[in-house]
Amino acid sequence: MSAAAHTAFCGWSQVVSPAMIRQCLKCRVPVLQQSTRAYSIFPTPLDSEEKEMLHRIVRVDHAGEYGANRIYAGQMAVLGRSKSGPLIQEMWDQEKKHLQKFNEILSENRVRPTALLPLWNIAGFALGASTALLGKEGAMACTVAVEESISEHYNSQIRALMEKDPERYTELLQVIKEFRDDEMEHHDTGLEHDAEMVPGYWLMKNVIQLGCKAAIYVSQRI
Amino acid sequence: KQSCLMGFASHKVLKIVAAPSAVNPQCSNLNRGFHRAALRLQDESKSDKPPSSSSSSSSSSTTYHEHYQATEHDTAAEASQHDSASDPAAEQPERPNTSYQDQSGEHGEEYETEEQLQSRILTAALEFVPLHGWSMEAIAAGAETLGLSSASTGMFYNGAGDLVLHFIAHCNSQLTEILAEQHKQVQLGQAEPKKTADFLREAVETRLRMYIPYIETWPQAMSILLLPHNIPDSLKHLSSMVDDIWYYAGDRSTDMNWYTKRAVLTGIYNTTELVMLQDSSPDFQDTWSFLDNRIQDVVNMASSAKQVESRKNPNLICGLET
Repeated sequence: MSAAAHTAFCGWSQVVSPAMIRQCLKCRVPVLQQSTRAYSIFPTPLDSEEKEMLHRIVRVDHAGEYGANRIYAGQMAVLGRSKSGPLIQEMWDQEKKHLQKFNEILSENRVRPTALLPLWNIAGFALGASTALLGKEGAMACTVAVEESISEHYNSQIRALMEKDPERYTELLQVIKEFRDDEMEHHDTGLEHDAEMVPGYWLMKNVIQLGCKAAIYVSQRI
Repeated sequence: KQSCLMGFASHKVLKIVAAPSAVNPQCSNLNRGFHRAALRLQDESKSDKPPSSSSSSSSSSTTYHEHYQATEHDTAAEASQHDSASDPAAEQPERPNTSYQDQSGEHGEEYETEEQLQSRILTAALEFVPLHGWSMEAIAAGAETLGLSSASTGMFYNGAGDLVLHFIAHCNSQLTEILAEQHKQVQLGQAEPKKTADFLREAVETRLRMYIPYIETWPQAMSILLLPHNIPDSLKHLSSMVDDIWYYAGDRSTDMNWYTKRAVLTGIYNTTELVMLQDSSPDFQDTWSFLDNRIQDVVNMASSAKQVESRKNPNLICGLET
């Protein structure tokens, strides 16, 4: 993404000042240089504890966004052609952006992705599809449950980072806060669209949230 | 900045003091006793200070000794610098491979931490390995070349395991330096980026060539690494080496490819190492052609997998053909 932006920038700035031309010279560097750009999400870990903590955070968030992506894919597979199709598609697109961001953070900082990704692939799709089979209300209820879990999870991460050192983790906190706000928006959208009307809402919500908690616990470690 | 260092030093103290807590506390005192005895002997027999990786300034041995005496009762003396030694996980919980990044960091006072001293002894011991094998005798001989008593081998609880792990960590950090240098060259535009298969082949060959001086005794080293208490550490070293190689080869995968690529490279590396042990061809030509064939196999597998996948899903990419 940034490479394309760089080359576009280069072409345009051929005529302009030396400062811009100098920046242009940097464009020839291949994409691998992403890790040395000035703005970086992560501070370099001071010791192995911090590294472990940061890696876990990124690993589980990456797994979460991956799972959410698959859940929406499952919902779309069932409800894609119905009235709620565009709504689900819009939420799915936002999750795709989140996943892309975490992919970048993961690869730049050499964090190991969770080994359970294939499991979340299947489980997410199955969850999305099966709740969507209960109709639009079912899909919305699933969305509400999952987004509530994810928001709670992001909030606890934000709290943990703020407790440690808010200044050091500014960029990371910013990203997590932004994503948490998006997830809360999805949660509210779900509620607006009759999530609570589905039969067995309370049961479904709690089962899904329990599953999410287990997934989060496991993805941090494995 | 100084206070920052001391704050950091106290943090390090807690770490270092905590690390041997699993061992008998008397042993850790003995440890420190050895360290101090070793330092004193070193001072007294000082003709030329061996080039320690941690010090760049030429301070005289008297200031070293004075400063040491002044803080004799303060264990912060042992921890006033970053751990720039690539000492295996015998003492520290952190991965030794990351320590090379701290190379020539802050040089506060002219100290040597225990890890650095151990690292120097083990490095010196390496030249006696062809003679004594990977054993305490080699470590004792190494300690003697540094002017220390051979009783300082008491510092090494894991004995030969310490020596082998130290050597492996050292090779890994050398490899990482070479790869980082090549990476920089490519970024500066002074070198062409290599194809992945070639990159992997050269990286593995470079790394295995570091064993050539010790190839006679390498089977013994491998068996030491397979001892149950050494397996976690040797696996850690192996996995970080493979991760490094793939990172510099340009792998940025974030899905199961991350695991499959590393597993494949680990397999290639281990089998090639075994072949090297019983290779008697000139300059190990047979080993390198074995390596070449294995990598070619993997490339072929990957491209046929890709063909199958791309018929199913045009968006899938696999990195090995580039």
